[in-house]
Amino acid sequence: MVNQVIKVKNLRKYYKVHQKEPGLIGSIKSFFSRKYYDVKAVENVSFTIDEGELIGFIGPNGAGKTTTLKVLSGLLYPTSGDVSVLGYEPFKRQSEFQKQFSLVMGQKNQLWWDLPPWESFILNKEIYEIPEEQFKKTVEELSRMLEITDILKIQVRKLSLGQRMKAELVAALLHNPKVLFLDEPTIGLDVLAQKKMRDFIKEYNLKFNATIILTSHYMGDVRELCNRVIIIDKGQILYDGLLDDIVQKFAPYKVIKADLEKEVDEKKLSGVGEVKEYRDLQVIIHVPKDEASKKAAKLLGKFPVADLTIEDPPIEDIIRTVFSKGMDI
Amino acid sequence: MNKYLAVFKINWENALVYRLNFSLWRVRSVLQLLLVYFIWFSVFQSQQRIFGYDQSSILTYILIAALVRAIVLSSRVMDVANVINEGSVANFFLKPISFIGYYFIRDLSDKLLNISFVIFELALILFLLKPSILIQKNLSILALFLLAVFLGLFLFFIISFIVGLMSFWVENSWGLFFLMYIFLETFGGGIFPIDILPSPYSQIFLIAPFPYLLYFPAKIYLGTLAVPELVKGFFILSFWIIVLYFLMVKLYRAGIRQYSAVGH
Ligand SMILES: Nc1ncnc2c1ncn2[C@@H]1O[C@H](COP(=O)(O)OP(=O)(O)OP(=O)(O)O)[C@@H](O)[C@H]1O
Ligand SMILES: [Mg+2]
Repeated sequence: MVNQVIKVKNLRKYYKVHQKEPGLIGSIKSFFSRKYYDVKAVENVSFTIDEGELIGFIGPNGAGKTTTLKVLSGLLYPTSGDVSVLGYEPFKRQSEFQKQFSLVMGQKNQLWWDLPPWESFILNKEIYEIPEEQFKKTVEELSRMLEITDILKIQVRKLSLGQRMKAELVAALLHNPKVLFLDEPTIGLDVLAQKKMRDFIKEYNLKFNATIILTSHYMGDVRELCNRVIIIDKGQILYDGLLDDIVQKFAPYKVIKADLEKEVDEKKLSGVGEVKEYRDLQVIIHVPKDEASKKAAKLLGKFPVADLTIEDPPIEDIIRTVFSKGMDI
Repeated sequence: MNKYLAVFKINWENALVYRLNFSLWRVRSVLQLLLVYFIWFSVFQSQQRIFGYDQSSILTYILIAALVRAIVLSSRVMDVANVINEGSVANFFLKPISFIGYYFIRDLSDKLLNISFVIFELALILFLLKPSILIQKNLSILALFLLAVFLGLFLFFIISFIVGLMSFWVENSWGLFFLMYIFLETFGGGIFPIDILPSPYSQIFLIAPFPYLLYFPAKIYLGTLAVPELVKGFFILSFWIIVLYFLMVKLYRAGIRQYSAVGH
């Protein structure tokens, strides 16, 4: 039987923000009578996640991703709704619960800036009461996987962003959390470091059967790591299901790529579909999804085609369609 | 190793990274001490006795107050405020460690470092200036002195933590720190003993918590407090510790509630 590790039902999180009127008079006025209004960051969200799943949690800026992760971590009280992680109510902040999960935020840090990462690791070891043996083994293993073994004794302030983020990740994983919330773990990293990070997350997920929720604005992360995605916008879930299905369901068009044998008039090509690129005898045409084979046949029949492929559009485009169409799809 | 011991240790390691900063800060406190010392020294050039103090007892008072200052008045109240303001207080809500306990241990760790320096500095001053000071030999007075220092340490931690916690509600609590330090310098007794003020004023100030940080312990050391004054002093000191402790805990809980509802 699969174990439902995370259960969220009808979660709402509103931030109470007080309105500040501009100017001195405004400040004085709002000092005496504060006007509050609600920011509806998360609005009626429900989902469940099984043990060992690696979920992509995606959505545009301000969608409510970080807010949801903060509620799941117990940093924020839900305005209403039920939240359970590993059978605990996160906001009770019980230490048995805290010892079993980790929240990693790309822009937040816990390492001591003026000391080597190693010292912060030791502190975490004591805070989480990790046995000596397990600690040594974990540090060794994780830093080997992330290739940061040789920087553990260097002052954090002297590390590069990528090295630091890897060290942050190790610090967050020392207690072997069963549940992991990763908020933009690859933000600001170069392509190579991003790849390394992704490989690591995948490996960690498989090796420890850890349940992971990952948010990212890089579709590469999601494509490589997650089978299932939850798409959220304006605090509401737009889609929850397999990434592959989303492509099937929402891809608005197909992409035909063809190599031509000789130069043809671009105007004639646009009779087939929307010509996106035409250069060096190579043409890229977008055609409606259900007419793809018909259009391909037309292209083959009418033009000197050497080679031809039909592909799905990039995932970024599909997600963008989902966002722009909103709830109606 | 216990988790709070680990905090103690990493705090020392961190402080030692800032050797230059730390040394400059020590130099500053030595200069401050010398300034106060010489002002009082020159006051006594023309007179034998002022406000009931002779030269030796006032100089003893000033030096002992400097020692007490190093133990009682060191605080990470700025850190607490920053950690709340920039949101890294979240680390304490995610991990099995107490926010208050963590900062109390870091304070203790700072104090131990301070004490080792200030003892060295005082020894140097005694050696170079050779002031005639009073060496307290009465063991029960010394014990009461230590007890007062110990309680003062708690009291100041609580006061400064309360000021730090204000950052849950006030975006820029710099003004509050400033106010706290003004009260501290004026009524703490580090510059002059409170009882040189005319009686109604000094009696009023002695109800406030601040004189119990420096003035009260230093005054105990001099051995001139009568038993009723000692009893009254310890009573007021304990009263403030208890009242402010409950206030701190209440504010802390309210702060977490505020944070968790509103976010930072
Ligand atoms: N502390 C706060 N106080 C008030 N409003 C907030 C606070 N934090 C977030 N919000 C608002 O809540 C909404 C959701 O924010 P959230 O940070 O969860 O978005 P996100 O999906 O993580 O976005 P991003 O991709 O930009 O990180 C936004 O409208 C944001 O302005
Ligand atoms: Mg976010």
